[in-house]
Amino acid sequence: MPHYIGIILDEKRLEQVKGTPVEEKIQPIFGGTLKMLVVEVPDEKSQQILKEFERARIDSRGFIEDVPVAFRRAVFEEIAKAKSLDVIDNVLQRLPEIQELAKKEAEYIPPPEIE
Amino acid sequence: MIVKTPPPHGGRLVERVVKKREIGEKMAAGCIEYDLKPTTDPKGVPIRHVYREIMSVCYGFFSPVEGSMTQNDLEGVLNERRLENGWVFPYPILFDISEEDLKSLDVKEGDRLLLKLKGQPFAVTDVEEIYKIDPLDVATRTFGTPEKNPEVVREAFNEKHPGWVIYKCMNPYVIAGKWTIVNEPKFKEPYDRFWFPPAKCREVMKNEKKWRTVIAHQTRNVPHTGHEALMKNAAYTGDIEPCHGILVNAIIGAKRKGDYPNEAILEGHEAVNKYGYIKPSRHMVTFTLWDMRYGNPIESLLHGIIRQNMGCTHHMFGRDHAAVGEYYDKFATQILWTEGIPSFGFEAPPNEVDLGLRIIPQNMAEFWYCPICQEIAYSESCGHTDAKQKFSGSFLRGMVAEGVMPPTVVMRPEVYKAIVKWWKVFNYPFVNNKYLENLDRELEIDLPPMEVPA
Ligand SMILES: [Zn+2]
Repeated sequence: MPHYIGIILDEKRLEQVKGTPVEEKIQPIFGGTLKMLVVEVPDEKSQQILKEFERARIDSRGFIEDVPVAFRRAVFEEIAKAKSLDVIDNVLQRLPEIQELAKKEAEYIPPPEIE
Repeated sequence: MIVKTPPPHGGRLVERVVKKREIGEKMAAGCIEYDLKPTTDPKGVPIRHVYREIMSVCYGFFSPVEGSMTQNDLEGVLNERRLENGWVFPYPILFDISEEDLKSLDVKEGDRLLLKLKGQPFAVTDVEEIYKIDPLDVATRTFGTPEKNPEVVREAFNEKHPGWVIYKCMNPYVIAGKWTIVNEPKFKEPYDRFWFPPAKCREVMKNEKKWRTVIAHQTRNVPHTGHEALMKNAAYTGDIEPCHGILVNAIIGAKRKGDYPNEAILEGHEAVNKYGYIKPSRHMVTFTLWDMRYGNPIESLLHGIIRQNMGCTHHMFGRDHAAVGEYYDKFATQILWTEGIPSFGFEAPPNEVDLGLRIIPQNMAEFWYCPICQEIAYSESCGHTDAKQKFSGSFLRGMVAEGVMPPTVVMRPEVYKAIVKWWKVFNYPFVNNKYLENLDRELEIDLPPMEVPA
């Protein structure tokens, strides 16, 4: 059974995929208040991701969650680069680099600037 | 059919907190002293602190339990979820101690032991019995097995279940006896404004809030709009009118990495009433100290007892109530409260047996966002199952970690601001090692200095 990774698109990310073939794959959720790209992950690769990140899990919707922010960022970067959702292999090749970044965010994530 | 406030479980509220300092000092004088320690897992991570159980017993949340259980109470609880006096109670409540510590203390039955916390006198225990347990056996019988409890247990409990690990990591000796708090602790901010022990909670709900019917909401999470919909809709039950009040009761205790900090959970729920999503005249936030055992149906019994003692008439129970993993059937709690679970001692629901609970269960299914109904819909009403968009706690955590502000339809902006407020304090939106170390050292309270007369 395949699993999924959902990538939320904020304004900046939306801008980066505008006019590419990815644009029409954008799914509006929660009444259009959020926009998301869904990357399908074959079973053996989702197992690899679960093994790689201690806290990662698959939720009741079949989505891989509780992965490091660095992992999601890498998924989006690869999407923007390839202009395609077929990027999971490229992301997995970057695992060592993602693990390095993930270690740092285990103790510190900068808070957002809101009042 | 007017529903009335139920009596406390066991008939009267336990109140074992000495309010007069001189009396507390006198009670502590001349006792053998013992510094309370956390229970740690094999890696040394604190997973439980008995101080929280002493607080919940002495302030009456766990009425009629008055202290660390005797062997007869323990066997009764493990065999049929009943204390020796017959009242229903789900979990062993034990003051456990290592063989080494027991030897060096040299206490015996009839002695009074002074329990110290953060270097100060905290409580005394009047030793009734000292006995040995097999922690693994206690752990396994507490939660059940697929063989003995086939109605609801699906998988054998193991190292991945945090509640089972708590009991398994206990020390092999138990000092049984009643506890009395002799030096009343002061809660730190923001805990202090959410502290409503049962006697006070009953008084506030009756005299200030003027609630006749109150439905309890269990939480260990920052609320999203799915929780809010659950609270609002479950509260339509009541008697001749919807429940007057909604009592949020957060379980505060040992945390796991990735949880939201306690402070954000309490202030997140508070934001729901402060900013009018459920107005404060109908909604109130409180907490109970307890290192959650994730016992699904077993935990639901404790939740029922706590909130009945606090004066609630109703209690909402969802799917996977207080659950982790797939050890129990998804509907285990709902099975317990609709037909009972004979292998756990319930031939009928716990509110229909002698010496059982008097709180009324309100079993609820699920809420999701439906893009066709264009609203937050109830799973048993909305027919667009294929289109559902579930509220997933981990999905939301991912969004928060990425620094994306969740839309109002998913999480209220003021609730999100409560997360960010504590994120700025701890430099992290969730519980991490630093948070755990700090919580272990500081706990939720401070103890005023107390000189014990020699
Ligand atoms: Zn619908």
